[in-house]
Amino acid sequence: MVHLNTGFTLFLSLLVEAVPFLLIGVAFSSLLLFFVNEQQLVSVLPKNAFLGALVGSLMGVLFPVCECGNVPVARRLIVQGAPTAVSIGFLLAAPTINPVVFWATWVAFRGQPEVVFLRVICTLLIATSIGWVFSYQPDIGPFLQENVARSRFRDRPKRNLTGGSSNQPSLLQGGTFLQVAGGETLQLDTPAAQRLVANPVQAQSPVSKLQLVVDNMVRELRELGAVLVFGSAIAATVQVAVPRETILGLGQGMASSILAMMALATVVSICSTVDSFFALSFASTFTTGSLLAFLIFGPMIDLKNIGLLLTVFTGRAVFYLFALASLMSFALALAVNLYLG
Amino acid sequence: MVRSPRSESNRPANRPTNRRSVGGPLRLPWRDLLDVLALGTWSAMLFRYWIGGKLLLLLHPDYAWLSNSAAIILALLAAYRLLGIVQTSRRSQRTATGRNLSAENHITLLPRNFSSAVLLSVAVFGLIYTPQAFASQTATQRGITDTLTLTRAQPQRFARAAAPEERTVIDWIRLVNVYPEPDAYEDEAVAVEGFVFYPESWPAGYLMVSRFVLTCCAADAYPVGLPLKLDTNAAEPYPVDSWLAVTGTMVTDTLDGRRQVAIAPTEIRTIEEPKNPYEY
Repeated sequence: MVHLNTGFTLFLSLLVEAVPFLLIGVAFSSLLLFFVNEQQLVSVLPKNAFLGALVGSLMGVLFPVCECGNVPVARRLIVQGAPTAVSIGFLLAAPTINPVVFWATWVAFRGQPEVVFLRVICTLLIATSIGWVFSYQPDIGPFLQENVARSRFRDRPKRNLTGGSSNQPSLLQGGTFLQVAGGETLQLDTPAAQRLVANPVQAQSPVSKLQLVVDNMVRELRELGAVLVFGSAIAATVQVAVPRETILGLGQGMASSILAMMALATVVSICSTVDSFFALSFASTFTTGSLLAFLIFGPMIDLKNIGLLLTVFTGRAVFYLFALASLMSFALALAVNLYLG
Repeated sequence: MVRSPRSESNRPANRPTNRRSVGGPLRLPWRDLLDVLALGTWSAMLFRYWIGGKLLLLLHPDYAWLSNSAAIILALLAAYRLLGIVQTSRRSQRTATGRNLSAENHITLLPRNFSSAVLLSVAVFGLIYTPQAFASQTATQRGITDTLTLTRAQPQRFARAAAPEERTVIDWIRLVNVYPEPDAYEDEAVAVEGFVFYPESWPAGYLMVSRFVLTCCAADAYPVGLPLKLDTNAAEPYPVDSWLAVTGTMVTDTLDGRRQVAIAPTEIRTIEEPKNPYEY
């Protein structure tokens, strides 16, 4: 019973802590529909794969969203036709390379500023490399879930007509409709939003913009929220069922501590905005390298995030991301342990 | 397809026949209502923790404003969506057609209704369930024996913890972490509150006055505690998990084969569990 209570409290605590950040994430991602011209952004991105990956990795500075929020943004970038290198770089680095997360990490690790800077540098290094590697697959299509790939291909030729999008909201609203066969109507509101993105001159009234933002927020909240619930449930269950000593006991060795922290990062699925505080509670028992591994690897890949990634990518692509990210995080963390720690 | 949003925007309202095509005039937009309900319940749940003060059991107070703002924003979202549904159903009985279509184009990991249902049930659960503060069993699981090392160094805090009798359990632990020699604290006044915990390796006549420390949320709560030297050798004179307010002085004692500080009490009072059981 006590275990059950602890589990429920943990579960609710993770949710209550994550939901505001999820809200911030979906709000930013929805506002992007209106304030960031992705079409233009995509068109000014460097064509060079390496530069693209680097720029993609740094784009998080423009979009302060944690990992709950960066997947929808990355999905939108992909749908808008951003190069593979940019999208992957953004996907992996954005949760870490952004002002909010940097600030939180700084507050937490003021006593060990090297952790803050190493976190940023290592994340950039990993995200850029993986983005670069993925760019050797010129068409990202085969890596995408069918519905994402479909909206991507479908939109291209149609963009001049309707704008097109993978994000068609379901809010009831007076908007743009096409009459289709059978006397039925086809709602085109989000395509209207996308058209706005494609060509800001065609501005909609503020009311309808607001409606589209809200619409998008609610839809993303629903999708990501449900996944978050499962992630938190799993995280809480494991925290209660597996004695922490078992996980921590792995932990003073150069390599075993890193593996333990990476496993913990994967399981706990804590939001990148607050994970530095979580890591801080292990600061005195774990090697610097392992804390770094937690801070680098956690935002890229964890149970919750895998769920989100699977909404965009196929299992195979997620596996590649996971494998590359984990190997590189491990290698860098080990180097820190051996040469700096 | 010709695009002319302005001229087409009101068309559905002018086409009452649509109503029949989607299954009867009384058809309600259940999916949207489910969303409104889920958003509303989440908001209610967060409001409940906020107003009931239980939020402190889940989060560090520094993050409380985030959760509180989320409660307000979710309520506004729910209200806005509800308003939208009401207005739309009045203005036009447009329906399921357009919406189903967009939903279908957007199949994700989880089906839409399933997601809404999951969110709704969790929020309902959150409304019913009252979070419990962690206690000794969790402390055992989280390794309270490691406590003296498992703390974050935060030297800038010490300046404030000047008067010994004003130090909390975590203040003492941080202080001792920085300067571990127990004799340095000999005879300093102690006044702390915490729950009762009996570490397995300790002999009878000792208990640990413990607190959980939060850095961000309950997920990272870690236990710390100060040994309390009782003047009785009875086994467990105070029930596990009951709360004590202890005053006394610091002495040096040897526990677990290690010299460490311990409290020699002058007064031990049983108290209610504080509204905010954690320290930060």
